[in-house]
Amino acid sequence: MNSLSTTSATDVASGTKFEAIRGMRASLPVMLGFIPFALVLGAQATQKGFTVLEVPLMTGLNFGGGSEFAAIRLWTSPPQVLLIVAMSLLVNCRHILMGAALVPYLQHLTARQALPALFFMCDESWAMALADARQRAATRISLAYYLGISAGLYLTWVTFTALGATLGPSMGNVEHYGFDMAFTAVFLVLLRGMWRGARACRPWLLSLGVAALSCLFLPGAWYVATGSAAGLLAAIVWGKAS
Amino acid sequence: MTERLTLLTIVLMAASTYLTRVLGYLALRKRTLSPRLLAVMDCVPGCVLVSVIAPAFVSEQPANWLALAITLLAASRLPLLPTVIIGIVATGMLRHLLGT
Repeated sequence: MNSLSTTSATDVASGTKFEAIRGMRASLPVMLGFIPFALVLGAQATQKGFTVLEVPLMTGLNFGGGSEFAAIRLWTSPPQVLLIVAMSLLVNCRHILMGAALVPYLQHLTARQALPALFFMCDESWAMALADARQRAATRISLAYYLGISAGLYLTWVTFTALGATLGPSMGNVEHYGFDMAFTAVFLVLLRGMWRGARACRPWLLSLGVAALSCLFLPGAWYVATGSAAGLLAAIVWGKAS
Repeated sequence: MTERLTLLTIVLMAASTYLTRVLGYLALRKRTLSPRLLAVMDCVPGCVLVSVIAPAFVSEQPANWLALAITLLAASRLPLLPTVIIGIVATGMLRHLLGT
């Protein structure tokens, strides 16, 4: 009996390890996309007067690329605290929706496990863990897989923003080499995995249309909020109709 | 003084960002979700993801459209890593050839 339970405990441990490694491997293509942006963010931050330590402090505590770029753009010395905090809230408000969508997939976790894990929720880790659960037709995300992805992405982000701050202006303009397409590519592949047919996915199309129009006609990062909200509303309305 | 304000801003930014990450979870975790709500939330990931990449669809540069078309084609049939590499290389080369 004793030996039996020991075996099963080792099995669980090795399964967890395997899942974590599977997650780290899956995060590789996204890391590739993170690196140039992290370098650019670090370099821009030092131009705005950040010290080399303050850069990884910000990226390590926030781990939110879009809001960090917005903060650097708005940064003055001394900083306008309220403006920057409000901007972070706006850029990241999609997280609320993302966290809500995760709830059914997190029911096997206690709040004590889920709340620290959610610190690492970014667009990529969230979407990849969800897409993975759906591909395996599972009703829960694999926590170890999600944390494996998160570890890979978090370490890449913090390390390379710090490196960007150190290397600073000696870097050329890495933004123009096509690395911005990495995120589009990642998200398109994930979307393919989530595709449920044209009818079920009509709200996506509306989201895309509204977000695209917002890009053209509204300043800043409004497009994420308007696009997501339009899709959500459409899903509610069309869901009611059918 | 400026240094302290910088730290304060960073900490408050972090707090508000973390708040957005846990708010949806905290609001819904104790509720039983109706099938209709579940169906709506099933659609949310796609809506968020297409919104985030929407800027790629409204570029004014021919190099960017072509690169997006190539990336879309790759994404429709290849795994993640090759798609990302093809997307980056195609975008870099087309921008170099056609100008940005």
